[in-house]
Amino acid sequence: MSEDKKVFKGRINVPYKHTAGAYVEKFLTEIGKNRKIMGVKCPKCSKVIVPPKMICFECFEKMEEWVEVGNQGTVKGFTVITHKTDVMPLEPPFAYGIIRLDGADVDIVHIIKESDPKKLKAGMRVEASFYAKPRKRILDIEYFKPI
Amino acid sequence: MVRQKGEFQIRWRTDLPYKWAIGKLAVKYFEELKKRKIMGSKCPKCGKMYMPPRGVCADCFVEMTVNDMAELSRRGILEGFTVVNYPFVDPNTGAMRPFPYGYIICKLDGADTYLMHFCDETDHNKFKIGQRVEVVFCDELPKDHESYRPELKGDIYDIPFIKLLKDQEK
Amino acid sequence: MDHFEGINFSELWTGIDACGFYLKPIVKIATGGTTGSSLGICGYYNIASGIYDKVMVVGWEKLNEGGATTGIITAFDPVWERPSLAGALGPLALMANIYASKYGVERSMKAAADVVVKNRSNAANNEFAHLQMPNITTDFVMSSQMISYPLRLHDCCPQSEGACAVIYANENEAKKITDNPAWFKGVSTAHYYTFGTDEKMYNLPTATIASKKIYKKLGIKDPVKDLDVAEIYEPTSWAELAWCEALGFCDFGQYAKLLDDGVTQMSGELPVNPSGGVLSTNPIGATALVRFAEAAIQVMGRGGKRQVPDVEVAMGMGFGGSLWTELCILGKDPKPLR
Repeated sequence: MSEDKKVFKGRINVPYKHTAGAYVEKFLTEIGKNRKIMGVKCPKCSKVIVPPKMICFECFEKMEEWVEVGNQGTVKGFTVITHKTDVMPLEPPFAYGIIRLDGADVDIVHIIKESDPKKLKAGMRVEASFYAKPRKRILDIEYFKPI
Repeated sequence: MVRQKGEFQIRWRTDLPYKWAIGKLAVKYFEELKKRKIMGSKCPKCGKMYMPPRGVCADCFVEMTVNDMAELSRRGILEGFTVVNYPFVDPNTGAMRPFPYGYIICKLDGADTYLMHFCDETDHNKFKIGQRVEVVFCDELPKDHESYRPELKGDIYDIPFIKLLKDQEK
Repeated sequence: MDHFEGINFSELWTGIDACGFYLKPIVKIATGGTTGSSLGICGYYNIASGIYDKVMVVGWEKLNEGGATTGIITAFDPVWERPSLAGALGPLALMANIYASKYGVERSMKAAADVVVKNRSNAANNEFAHLQMPNITTDFVMSSQMISYPLRLHDCCPQSEGACAVIYANENEAKKITDNPAWFKGVSTAHYYTFGTDEKMYNLPTATIASKKIYKKLGIKDPVKDLDVAEIYEPTSWAELAWCEALGFCDFGQYAKLLDDGVTQMSGELPVNPSGGVLSTNPIGATALVRFAEAAIQVMGRGGKRQVPDVEVAMGMGFGGSLWTELCILGKDPKPLR
């Protein structure tokens, strides 16, 4: 029996309006307007969280002190995507990195524009490259490029 | 609960492809549908005829196989109707579903379960519960009809809707 | 719920950010419309089994973000049901239509409008209710736009945003929290179909099965006499007619008479939906938990303007697109009902 007969091919295609809240609004607005990456600092444990959240997940404290973190950071781990699927932000190959921005206490996962695994290593430095026309999303940091 | 104007919203669209495994009985159903036959599955224990056909009788928890499938009539009885007259995004396409449309529940002769489907009638005064209805195949439609296809392909679009029969057509 | 907001890890937000459950046990439960009552029942199981001393149960929804009808369609079978399904209202309209043809179109339409007026008038006493329409009339309901015959706009629930949290505790812990807790007397669930059309379902057989089970267990002979208040899950006005009949409040086709006699009004023998019900507020993932919570509020005497006097026993009901029924009965007295 052919594969085509055994399956029903369909899609789930739904538009959403996501109310991300005041913290994400400030975060994305600062990236879009001022090219600044902002985090918040927990008054209890002093950790700087990026992207910002209202509540420190460990201390359950409300965080209200905004802190600018660097547009540069250190790669803690990476992988290179070579397999193409239907839903991807870029054409492979490209890399994903776990990046600790300067001044932050948590890591973010983002795209690194370098697809040669030999040119990537843990500990390397990268810098954010911003999208020309901000679109209110995390990909307004279009990718990180090796310094 | 009142939303503020100019509120910061992030708009995005989920658009994911799926391949849903339909099971042996549904494969058989669509093969037979191409030959203009509508097949149900009959529980070997209680005799209940299921439409759509499926692998298990819920009442008895007994397995049904393709050998338990039998043909049903393309005609049946109207059990309930409505005319959907409100806007919404159809997640199958990502676009607004055209409305108004007739939407009915009917029982095909020979089946013990019901079928919900489109109906080409959109005036709620024209429906009468208990009246006869008939499955329409896509190749029987006028060529300029939006659901017309020259031949059956063995997929869900082979039966675009169910039509109401006039009282004398029993 | 995942398909309404397009967020599949919502438990991280609710559990960690909103509730501070960092490194504590969290379970996410999603069963469609019955999500809230499934949550409510699992909270009870967690305490009654002795596994936990205290449990917080949270249900929530933000229906503005994706749209209820669109999300509900994705819950159903992709091959057989999604192409023609119009969310919940299409099938609910079919059920209403079957009900009307059985018990009289004119009479059912008037009764349905009476349900809307009753519930929305009750909502005016509930500051948490979404729709505030204190001066609503049957004429207003019956002249609103026909959106899916025989359902008019005001026969249908709104799409709401909201949340509900309930604290469960065992006997020792409950005494530390409040002098006046609501006690679980029992829960009951029933569900039995593969496709929505395996039965005509207009009279919700699962409600009959689940309620008979729980009434028998608790020795309830006549729910109208033995219960003091009921919070039922009525996504449309017609659903309250059919569901209350299925729950045994009266014979099939007779809820209109119960309304005419004022039995289910605030001042009646068995007020139904003092909170304003689902017709006034429907944040889906919270809705059925709100039914349980409102039943508890009535038993605890904390209803304020919507309080029914002298509530000893209250019932809460969850209903979902999967046509499940989930029930709880709560009491003021820790001792068995009778």
